[in-house]
Amino acid sequence: MVMDSDTPTPAKSTTLGSATYFDGTSSRRRMVTLRLAERLEIEGEQSLAAWIYADIRRADSPAGMLRLSCLSAPALARLEVRDKELANELVSRCTKIDDHMIGRRGVAAIVGWSLAAAASIVAVVLFGLPLAADRLTPLVPEAFERRLGDVADSQIKTMFDAKVCDNAAGQKAFTKLITALRESAGLDTSVQSGVLSSSLPNAFALPGGKVYLFNGLLAKAENADEIAGVLAHELGHLKHRDSMRAMIHNGGTSFLIGLLFGDITGSSALIFASRTLVTSSHSREAETDADSFAIDVMHRLGRPAKPTGELLLRVTGKEGKGLSIISTHPLSEDRLARMSRQDPPASGPPLLTSEEWRSLKSICDGKS
Amino acid sequence: MNQMSWPPQVPPPQPLPAPPPMPVAFSGSRGEFFDLVKRGAGLEFVTLGFYRFWLLTDIRRHLWANTHVYGDAAEYTGRGKELLIGFLVALAILVPVYLGYFLVGLEAEHIQAFASIPLIAFFYVFGQFAIYRARRYRLTRTVWRGLRFWMTGSGWAYAARATLWGLLSALTLGLALPWRAAALERYKMRHTFYGDLQGSFEGRGWEFFKRGWWLWLLAPVAMMVYPLAPFIYGAFKAIEWRWWLSGIRFGGVRVESSLPKSALIGLYWKVIGWIVVLGLVFSAYLALAAVLVASMSGDSFSEFFKSQEFAKSIPLLVLAGIGYLAFALAMNIVIRVYLLRDLWVRVLGSINVSGIETAANVSARGGMANALGEGFADGLDVGGF
Repeated sequence: MVMDSDTPTPAKSTTLGSATYFDGTSSRRRMVTLRLAERLEIEGEQSLAAWIYADIRRADSPAGMLRLSCLSAPALARLEVRDKELANELVSRCTKIDDHMIGRRGVAAIVGWSLAAAASIVAVVLFGLPLAADRLTPLVPEAFERRLGDVADSQIKTMFDAKVCDNAAGQKAFTKLITALRESAGLDTSVQSGVLSSSLPNAFALPGGKVYLFNGLLAKAENADEIAGVLAHELGHLKHRDSMRAMIHNGGTSFLIGLLFGDITGSSALIFASRTLVTSSHSREAETDADSFAIDVMHRLGRPAKPTGELLLRVTGKEGKGLSIISTHPLSEDRLARMSRQDPPASGPPLLTSEEWRSLKSICDGKS
Repeated sequence: MNQMSWPPQVPPPQPLPAPPPMPVAFSGSRGEFFDLVKRGAGLEFVTLGFYRFWLLTDIRRHLWANTHVYGDAAEYTGRGKELLIGFLVALAILVPVYLGYFLVGLEAEHIQAFASIPLIAFFYVFGQFAIYRARRYRLTRTVWRGLRFWMTGSGWAYAARATLWGLLSALTLGLALPWRAAALERYKMRHTFYGDLQGSFEGRGWEFFKRGWWLWLLAPVAMMVYPLAPFIYGAFKAIEWRWWLSGIRFGGVRVESSLPKSALIGLYWKVIGWIVVLGLVFSAYLALAAVLVASMSGDSFSEFFKSQEFAKSIPLLVLAGIGYLAFALAMNIVIRVYLLRDLWVRVLGSINVSGIETAANVSARGGMANALGEGFADGLDVGGF
């Protein structure tokens, strides 16, 4: 404990004072006398320590007390000074007393680097992730994607309480329709498809080559071309592997935005909102591409794309004007306009006979 | 100033300005704490949350440094940078864990839809581990009379205990909760040390149960009659604090608490009141922003709202986002002032410590723990100070 007892100090202007001292190796509280000589000498019944002024740092203390530590003493050794004058005198001698505190400059550095981190996260979300999703998607093995599709498949069937409709006549018509579209789209036979009994007017593509049509959409459709366009659109998603791409993109975006906001209470709502903004713009792009694909497929079959646009508008109703930045699909009006543009009159044979169309519409009626 | 009144003891004659002779006292000013969290919230806003590590550290430093036990104030020696590093390390570990969780979940879903939901239990276990390790970090940064507290024990052993007891509590609809708390507290305290003084926990589950069983009966009522909930929760927390504090021992040092059941209810009501006020302000702000944006878009108001266009307008969404962030930060200020600082002061005021003489000459032992646990706790969003 005697750190420097033999330092000869020809005290020229030594100040004396009293303080409380803890040596950092035991919890013993000592009343000590301070001698402000060349070093800060701490003396109890014997000389206890001598601290170099340049090594002395301020420690946290309650108001009305100066608490000091010393870099060259045990880390938890503390000196507590309650006398104001002595405290002032000590502070004036310890030139580096506040060197370890985070000052204005430190806070500015935290703010600056946080903003830099935020900016780079935002940049990665906006520019890096779409690129990464595009590049990574072809690298994902088909088998893995099919696995994902199977999972989504069983979840969706449970969620919507939907069963596959397959009465014989309807299934035959559906197979005829999807086969024609598939061949025109240039997809192989690994594509699985079916009609699900759910009243929602919707259709979707799952990763790994699955296309589902809800019965609700069939009910709203007036002819085979309308449904064919929708199926062609979903085949477009399969061809572009859009669900895989969206998964990588969404996953990455949520992760990075979550990182950004950390644990501010209720931040999940913000995360959700900003992710919706980012990913929906990306999804609109994918939808527009799938629409173009559907238009091409229909034209190759010599059928018009316009009926599909009409079906969509019938399902969604008029969506109003203005840019919608949170919707995942383009406006139905715009989609109809695109599908009607350069739509040649029907040149090929109808995809289904009226008999077959009727069977398809009633695919969910009765058991096969 | 919040000087805790306690039966004053005769101060031993001393040549120095004597420290207040009460066993436990808090000396921090409320205004100072408010300024601290206000400034912190502002910086959190500017840094999009990154400042939280430093704010949390400053809050703890303030609370610790103003807490006096037998005249000597405690000290918190942790730093924001340590928390940041802990967070980054936790991130490096959690990302592959999340990925593995995703893949395992995928396999489970393959067999049966929604079969991956039980895997969430894994994160519960992990959260318990984080709680233990975060406690260890905080404890080893707590210094009193020049000695640090420290902890041994295993985070995973604790997590296993916590999970099994948690399961039992769930099965008994919460009846086993007091015994769970007692068992976990025993584990924590017997692995807790002040220097070479070993801690222990003497609280019994049965005592906790005796004091709080009527709350267990009232809990279903509170779920239906919402205004009752703060009373019941406040009473529960007060009983829990009192029971917990009264069980703490360090060698011959005994802690007692006399916290009344009603001590914390007022705090919860104040928080609720502020949430209502802030909610109203936030709604008014949203309405104002909507009117402003509508008037700029040129359409008549009724048309603007009827066409659902307001849900799609970019300026409005941005304004709403900023408003929401400010709202969340204001809530944080309220919660920190009432449920951290004021609660701390009220609970401290109820404490008596006896047998402190046995801690007069304790030798230093034990090293510092890293902030990894805090990082996990942050990443998994499990609580703690």
